[in-house]
Amino acid sequence: MGQRPTLSSYLRQLWRRRHFITAEARAKAFSGNRDMLLGNLWLIGVPILQGLAYYLIFGLILRTSRGIENFTGFLLVGIFLFRFTMASLQQGIVVMSQNRGMTSAFSFPRAAVPLSVLLRETLSMLPVLATLVLLLLTVPPGTQVTWTWALFPLVFGLQVLFNTGIIMYTARLGSALPDLRHVVAFVGRMWFYMSGVFFSLDRFVSEGVWLSVLQANPLYMVLDMSRDLLLYDTVPDTSSWLFLSLWAVITPLLGFWYFWQGEETYGQH
Amino acid sequence: MDSTDGEPTVVVDDVSRRFEVPVSRPSGRGLRSKVARVVRGGSTVTVHALRSVSFVAHAGETIGIVGTNGSGKSTLLRMIAGLDAPSRGRVLARSQPMLLGVSAALQPELSGAENARLGLLALGFSPARVTGTLPRVFEIAGIGDAVYRPMSTYSSGMGARLRFAIAAAAEPDILLLDEVLSTGDAASAQRAEARMTEIRARAGTVFLVSHAAQTIEEMCTRALWIHEGTLIQDGEASATARAYRWWAWNVAKGEHDTAADLLRETTEARRGVAESASEAAAVITTMGRLTHA
Repeated sequence: MGQRPTLSSYLRQLWRRRHFITAEARAKAFSGNRDMLLGNLWLIGVPILQGLAYYLIFGLILRTSRGIENFTGFLLVGIFLFRFTMASLQQGIVVMSQNRGMTSAFSFPRAAVPLSVLLRETLSMLPVLATLVLLLLTVPPGTQVTWTWALFPLVFGLQVLFNTGIIMYTARLGSALPDLRHVVAFVGRMWFYMSGVFFSLDRFVSEGVWLSVLQANPLYMVLDMSRDLLLYDTVPDTSSWLFLSLWAVITPLLGFWYFWQGEETYGQH
Repeated sequence: MDSTDGEPTVVVDDVSRRFEVPVSRPSGRGLRSKVARVVRGGSTVTVHALRSVSFVAHAGETIGIVGTNGSGKSTLLRMIAGLDAPSRGRVLARSQPMLLGVSAALQPELSGAENARLGLLALGFSPARVTGTLPRVFEIAGIGDAVYRPMSTYSSGMGARLRFAIAAAAEPDILLLDEVLSTGDAASAQRAEARMTEIRARAGTVFLVSHAAQTIEEMCTRALWIHEGTLIQDGEASATARAYRWWAWNVAKGEHDTAADLLRETTEARRGVAESASEAAAVITTMGRLTHA
């Protein structure tokens, strides 16, 4: 007892908990705003307000929008999708301490906890994505539905996979070092600016190492590819698909392995 | 050492547990000590919660564990349940033990019924089996319609009853009870006793931690006395519990010399301790069929 099971037996035990993961995610999805007047409307209200703020400052005042076709659409896609990965990052840091009630009462593979949180965040994204589509179609200059929209679920799926890796990493890190709770906001902010949420990267960085570094950022790829598909009727090139897929496969595999390595440490106080 | 020679259900072999505990200074240099802990692992003291504890539990036994607060009783149960890992030594169990403590708050924002469902699923139940088991959980808990209220509205007694009901309905072979019986009212103590009898009848093993030695004497077949992390007596429940009570009574009355003599005598006699250790060592080499969870 108390020793880390082998990876295969761990996976087997985890598979037996699949109903727990889904039930836990469903029970807690859409419950975060229960004590607020507008309740779950905030799920979409917050990104809309954020979008408005960035639109005012960067679109109207600083005019980073210059040279960007359909800047409102550009901004909406950026903010709505960035928040998803940001949520995984922030939730991951606190997930093990927030679920201590369950983990100290029942013994089960601890990976079930971050996985259920990821599933919960993904479920919460569905109404957010519906709102995104609605806004894209109605807010001027307006966007046309094209056949490339059909490819967007693929990009979203890759983002989900990538987020799985993020949440596994941060779950173990945050449980070992609670101080990271403060660092993560800073990291998130850096990531936000490096991902070109409200401006086009190539306007400021035109060549060299930095551009390659910034463009290798998986979140930048997610935003860039989503914009191509949703706004510009363009199919991203093969190399984008390839690199994002690599991120989306390697990150969760390593993240899961890293989390499993710490399995016996999560029960300690 | 004991006559109830059922099959071994739990083997604890030479288990020690050390904790590195940060020392917080009264001058409030919390940040510095925290940084020190992270950066160079300093500013901590080592607490030996358990020192080389060995014993074997058998099917059909109810084992009481006595000792003062902080003697390592709860740590031992957490080890057996697999919620914490020993620093040294091994714990083997025939099946996944179920630990029931007073502290677990589950998920306060969800209702009792939802908590029960999630708890059973976390234990690896299939959804169909959960549906079949839930009515029994509610029946054992006996808290009526309160199961549909958020658990944050429960009194501590109600919460304990619900948790006990989840544990009992899961029908574990090995049940670990940590001071559970002391929080409930008379009715819940009786329910708990009935469940414990059921488990023993199924050839399972129940562990019962309590510093009320009388409870141990009444409900257990065997008892372990743990003092400052060391197992100092292992044997028939009434003998161990009475020795502990007599010592504790002397401590309470301020008869420190008598108490110290008693403790020294017990520690030196190590009644049943060496036998348990050799049994554990023997069992651990031969028992390949115990699951190594």
